[in-house]
Amino acid sequence: MIRLEGVGKRYWQLQERAMLLRSLLPFRRPTRSELWALRDVNLSLEEGDVLGVIGPNGAGKTTMLRLLAGVTRPTTGRVTVRGRVAPLISVGVGFHREMSGRENVYVNGMLLGLTKAEIDRRFDAIVDFAELGEFIDTPVKFYSSGMFMRLGFAVAVHTDPQVLLVDEVLAVGDLAFQIKCAERMREIRAAGTTIVMVSHNLQSIRVLCPRAIVLGHGRVEFDGPVEDAIARHHQLLGQQLGRESGGGPRPSAVGEVRQVGGVTVSERALLAQDGPAHYVESGAALRLRLRVRFDRPAAHPRFTFTIRSADGSLAARVNTPLELAHRSFEAGQDVLVELQFVARLGGGTYFVEESVTTSDGLGVLSEQARPIPFEVGPRPGAQGIADVEGVITLDGVAVRDQRSFGLGVP
Amino acid sequence: MSLNSLDGVSHDEASLEAVMELDARPDSRRTWLASVWAHRDVLLMLSRADFHVRYKRATFGVLWAVAVPVVQSVVLAVVFSHIIRVDDARAFAAYVLAGVLAWSYFALSVTAASTAIVDGSNLTDKVWFPRALLPIVPCLANLAGLCVSIAVLAVALPFLHGEFGPRLLLLVPAVALLLAFTLALGLALSALHVYFRDVKFLVQAGLLVWFYVTPIAYAKSMLGGLSRIVDFNPVTGIVALFQTAAVGAPPHWQRALLVSVVTTVVLGGVALEAQRRHDRLFVDLL
Repeated sequence: MIRLEGVGKRYWQLQERAMLLRSLLPFRRPTRSELWALRDVNLSLEEGDVLGVIGPNGAGKTTMLRLLAGVTRPTTGRVTVRGRVAPLISVGVGFHREMSGRENVYVNGMLLGLTKAEIDRRFDAIVDFAELGEFIDTPVKFYSSGMFMRLGFAVAVHTDPQVLLVDEVLAVGDLAFQIKCAERMREIRAAGTTIVMVSHNLQSIRVLCPRAIVLGHGRVEFDGPVEDAIARHHQLLGQQLGRESGGGPRPSAVGEVRQVGGVTVSERALLAQDGPAHYVESGAALRLRLRVRFDRPAAHPRFTFTIRSADGSLAARVNTPLELAHRSFEAGQDVLVELQFVARLGGGTYFVEESVTTSDGLGVLSEQARPIPFEVGPRPGAQGIADVEGVITLDGVAVRDQRSFGLGVP
Repeated sequence: MSLNSLDGVSHDEASLEAVMELDARPDSRRTWLASVWAHRDVLLMLSRADFHVRYKRATFGVLWAVAVPVVQSVVLAVVFSHIIRVDDARAFAAYVLAGVLAWSYFALSVTAASTAIVDGSNLTDKVWFPRALLPIVPCLANLAGLCVSIAVLAVALPFLHGEFGPRLLLLVPAVALLLAFTLALGLALSALHVYFRDVKFLVQAGLLVWFYVTPIAYAKSMLGGLSRIVDFNPVTGIVALFQTAAVGAPPHWQRALLVSVVTTVVLGGVALEAQRRHDRLFVDLL
């Protein structure tokens, strides 16, 4: 059971490093500014509830997990958590490299709230789960990174928590181990454990959590069904991205780019074959359809479309060539502009935005861009912005993954 | 409620009862002390781990904890017995050895304890346990070295014109007081160090000075009129207990001991209070 009532968390940002001697002097105190990581958060979870927490970077997700773990206390409001809390936050918390795997299981288990007797009972299951065998008595400094993580994860999932806090740890070890972890997560969920999961992988949130909250600037912007939450999250990301990029195209020619105005975009829709596109598989054909109205005459305007990934980096840009005489528009005339493209993109969230400029690209006619989000489903074994449709063959035979596993493990 | 059928493990009664309620106020004294006590197994486990990590790689292991102060004592005894004239060089060596053993435990533990909360930040930002445990860990881990050192001292005493007798029982309260004072100082400094990182260097410099204002390498009687001032050094009384056990009581040991006990109690109270009030706030500054 988890209850947050009016919870806020304030951090102080020091302008300079606090110094003992200086702070003892009455003058010259270090200046500091406050930063609210969370503000007025209300949340209630019962036994067995599974909650996803999403939101842009710096929205307060980590602070929320820290409060639930009891590591830090709120500045305002009250946090109540009933039952043993196990953080799957950082695997292998407090591992000592000089000590054997066995000793580390005990240290780690106790840090996670188990008694020695409880660890004794779980010990064989933990070693078995971690697939360590006789290496359990070897100092962990000789472990491979895979063994290290497997052991850490094994301890964490065997604490039988009533509240499990998950933070991007499902991508541990090789595929077989990930499937085992996913299996174990399902068992934990089935046992009625309350789970709070923070992830940037929206697909795993979508699969695991029926309900999600969206955090933005420390406030709960949305609390409800996961699909609606993801839509709200995209909207927030879009606003953030729009502010950061400042809209408009990057100058492609030497010279000052200036806002001219004179173009209104009245209709904007991103469409897949079967209606509006929010979530597509890689390789899907998409169309961005715009109804553009010219308030002033425009000769051979230039259309630019930009696709960015969630972190703002450029994925693709498509534009009509500079100084190309194609068509001129009268004042009051409108035109249907459509960008057709194939989303050969790696799994993740992307934004597409348009801009209309004068023929030389220096005068921006359209208003500040409002990026439209869409999400591309992950493909096992492929990462990055571009989907190069890579296939690995062994002696000419393609290696394919025939298994399917349903917990959103990438 | 059984979690899974694979290993038949069920939730334990005690952990089902656990309720955490947090607001802006620090935990009450009672709650906080109870949670420190509830984590005693973690404390012992971490101390054992600390001890292992410290000595496991060295060929002679924990013997180094003895060898270092012994070498230091020999050097000090030789040097100081030439500077200041002593009647019995061997008894003086026993006197120096007793003081140095206590001091090296104190210095080693305080140095490690004062940075413990900051150094343990990889433990502290994911899982909660009372942060006061962290500075206690080196104080407990170093006890093993101190005990071996004391055993070596006891064995060496007859060769140093000392006496292997019932007076050695004084070492029990001596170790207890030394541990208590070291804990109090370690708890206080570790809390301060989170906020002011220059504490680390102040401790290093302070210990250097502190050693020489403590009657370890010289006898208090050699100071003449200054000996009264030295008695207000809280370590003087603690070291005096060790020296008494080895070679007999120095003058005015009662006054020095009283200062030590009072300082320990007051400092300990302040330190525990500081740890309680700031417990779940340290992590915000790490």
